[in-house]
Amino acid sequence: MPTERLLPRLFLGLLLAMLAIAGWQWQRAAPLSADLMTLVPGATEDPLLKRAEQRMQEPLNRELLVLVGHSDREQALALAQALAAHWQASGLFETVQWSLQTDLQALREQLLQGRLAMLAASDRQQLVEHPDAFVEQRVQSLFDPFTGFSLVPSQDDWLGLTGRIQNSQPKPANVALDTASGALIAEADGKHWVLLRARTLGNAFDLHLPLQVAELLAEGRLQADKTGAHLLAASGLLHAAAGQQQASREITWVGGGATVGILLLLLLAFRRWRVLLALVPVLVGMLFGSVVCVALFGQMHVMTLVLGSSLIGVAVDYPLHYLSKSWSLKPWRSWSAVRLTLPGMSLSLATSCIGYLALAFTPFPALTQIAAFSAAGLIGAYLSAVCLLPALLAGMQLQPARWPLQVAQALTRWRERLLRKVPSAVLLGLLMVFCAAGLWRLSSHNDIRQWVASPPQLLEEAQAVARITGYQPTSQFYLVRGADQQQLLERLSLLSGTLDELVDLGKLKGYMSLGQLAASPAQQAQVRQALAALPQHWQPLLNLGVPQAALQAELEQLQHLPTQTIEQVLAGPLGEAWRPLWLGNDGAGVAAIVSLQGLGDAALLRLQVEDLEGVQLVDRLGELNQLFAATQVSAAELKLLSCVLILALLVLPFGLRGALRIVALPLLAALCSLACLGWLGQPLTLFSLFGLLLVTAISVDYAILMHEHIGGAAVSLLGTLLAALTTWLSFGLLALSATPAVSNFGLAVSLGLAFSFLLAPWAAQRPGTRAAQEHA
Amino acid sequence: MKRLLAVFGLLLVSPLALAFGLDDLQKQLSEPAVVSGPFVQEKHLRALPQPLLSKGRFVLARDHGLLWLLQTPLRQDYRIDANGIARRDPSGWQTLPNRSAGAEQNRLFFAVLQGDSSGLQRDFELALSGTAQHWQLQLTPRSLLLKQVFTRIDISGGRFVERIELSETQGDSTVLRMPESSAASALSDTERSDFAD
Repeated sequence: MPTERLLPRLFLGLLLAMLAIAGWQWQRAAPLSADLMTLVPGATEDPLLKRAEQRMQEPLNRELLVLVGHSDREQALALAQALAAHWQASGLFETVQWSLQTDLQALREQLLQGRLAMLAASDRQQLVEHPDAFVEQRVQSLFDPFTGFSLVPSQDDWLGLTGRIQNSQPKPANVALDTASGALIAEADGKHWVLLRARTLGNAFDLHLPLQVAELLAEGRLQADKTGAHLLAASGLLHAAAGQQQASREITWVGGGATVGILLLLLLAFRRWRVLLALVPVLVGMLFGSVVCVALFGQMHVMTLVLGSSLIGVAVDYPLHYLSKSWSLKPWRSWSAVRLTLPGMSLSLATSCIGYLALAFTPFPALTQIAAFSAAGLIGAYLSAVCLLPALLAGMQLQPARWPLQVAQALTRWRERLLRKVPSAVLLGLLMVFCAAGLWRLSSHNDIRQWVASPPQLLEEAQAVARITGYQPTSQFYLVRGADQQQLLERLSLLSGTLDELVDLGKLKGYMSLGQLAASPAQQAQVRQALAALPQHWQPLLNLGVPQAALQAELEQLQHLPTQTIEQVLAGPLGEAWRPLWLGNDGAGVAAIVSLQGLGDAALLRLQVEDLEGVQLVDRLGELNQLFAATQVSAAELKLLSCVLILALLVLPFGLRGALRIVALPLLAALCSLACLGWLGQPLTLFSLFGLLLVTAISVDYAILMHEHIGGAAVSLLGTLLAALTTWLSFGLLALSATPAVSNFGLAVSLGLAFSFLLAPWAAQRPGTRAAQEHA
Repeated sequence: MKRLLAVFGLLLVSPLALAFGLDDLQKQLSEPAVVSGPFVQEKHLRALPQPLLSKGRFVLARDHGLLWLLQTPLRQDYRIDANGIARRDPSGWQTLPNRSAGAEQNRLFFAVLQGDSSGLQRDFELALSGTAQHWQLQLTPRSLLLKQVFTRIDISGGRFVERIELSETQGDSTVLRMPESSAASALSDTERSDFAD
């Protein structure tokens, strides 16, 4: 027959084309991504906000913070030095720093130049309001042996402005400078901890870098163990490495487990090695999925791959559609079986695609990717099952095992017996009670943290690092805008007032704002003015023997110090830590970030700045969590919409009554799954909801199989059972994933499948008459 | 200046060795439980014809810490102990905020006070000469950071430390003289209460 020869050839042509595209896509580098942020909706269109977010994200993705701890200080220092040298030589890092070699001359110059611009707010206030006290403190500090050594000699700064600036610089809470080595050392738990900071050349989303860094760190730990030292590390890179390792482990387990399970099932049921060719559609599906995904999005996320690997179970359903007919169709011929089941398979493809594509309309790039991957994969699997596989199976005689049919027949008989005792309506009533009670117990929970499964050890270490160094960055920050630097600094200082209160109340550990480093032009002018009046108050300094001429000369010099801009202050060595906060001029004005330390209550932080103009709290994680919750509603709407579409599609072949029945059963199954989640005490997350959305589409397939009734109730049930088992094998394994989001998805789909299978027999037309006919 | 005090503290109890070795010196200086006496501090600033002069009394207690009581030209009491540096105001001792540089000096001071000689030897090259009755110790900074602050520190004395001279890279220097120190076996009641709260 011409079509039977033409179809395989056409399909092989398409397959070769896809393989060529895939080869081209993968030739340079694997188009895989592990960046979590590409999976979540890009919340902002504001380029400035985007830049600020990137600025705050960057250290997380590129910096490695390591504490080298030893009870002996010298050993800790020696090990830190050795590790730094080794890592620097590895070529992975842009910088590896364990020792600060401060250039004091540059520091002195900046202090002298910044005497007006860098004076802290409290010192400025004292100079303006209480010049007598200001002078008195200076006299005291000249005799005070404990104020710490001043970098600038007294004769260059009789008024002591540089000393005040030096002392007002915020210092890391628990970290002290070791003057001998220049290292930063913290002391905790009976150990000396030397701070080692490294900055990578690439970032955490580079596919190989995180693993290389993790490996280097593991080597370092071995080395540390030999000397009795201990390493603590914190970095986004390590989380990325753990995530990658876990994803590849899970792809192996879910993919491998599902494949082995399905192979066994096929072999046991059909007792022919050649039925293993049923996996061809699976492979083709994976190929189509990844090609389309990379073509559409430029890359594929590893999470797509993990979830996509569950497609195996759905893709194998197409060959099962006609393979399972071998129990009723004697003799079984591949092409005629395909022709018989083609309408059902096509409907099933259409309904599944509708279900998957509904996912694509959520605002989550993650789900869009999964939807595109799955829809393309299903089309590939369908095409190969219809065009290629029958040719490969041509001439095969199928004599399937009897036991699966016996199981199906037993199940059918049980059901009939049950229905004779308890009518369907009563069962439905009982089911509704079960659902109502379960739904009542269901609680909803959404958190971006469900998307990542960070090993507890990594989290503990990060917490230990935060505790020992006192450095606890938060993901929230403020973005402050102003028309010019004057306005920006005014707004920053208003914000500082609010934040200082929060710090005093213990609601916030600390913050960093450019306002702490640089004074506004107006404030600098104010200092200049206050200094002009100082000669009336400086008698105590003259009494010490300070020559009046020297003081006059210094005052003259101060009056002529040029007003400094934020850029100028940041350029000096003291500005180093503050540079990331400055966003510069973007044409519309200037902007700066205020970073926060220690856990903050986002709601409180937002409330505090509500009436501060130009100040915006950026809380990406909080917004995402809210977005998750909001998306649940739209997901439910999508689900209903997809049902309407499927209904419209099914009205043609099955009529309105039949179509309604076929669509109602999956919805009921979804409802039962929700109730089950409630009974199990599992929260309803966005992912479980998406899982159920998907189940509706897949289980329509079972209802169609049962409704079509090809080969009788038992054979149809057997086809459904096999399809459900294979699908469940792959999705059920997802429930074992360590990533809460993935496992939640797997659990919801597993439950949905189980209920879909249980309810599917009710899709048969007028079940009573059918049963009667069969008995007759 | 704090470094100067640290060195001063060190020298009273430090374990450092030579012919009349650092070990001997340490033993000699750490013998008394309490050393006290007057001090005179001269701050020689390049720009001033006369040094800034201040006077007062100090009490160093091996087991407690150091009291530094400035009397002229202004009165101000300081205390260094395990909790850090405190300054006395009308309402009592106020512990000063622990600043990075200060904390390091404090650590050094107490490492030394407790007989940890590695503390000072890491920061300075030590050279001791003379006899038990009349010795000189010269400290030269090792680290780049300290070299940018101090040229050298010279300390001399007999049974007690008598003179400390600190030469700064910028050309200023500070001389601390403790000409009439005396040893005691215990703190007086006032001193004890000063250390107590």
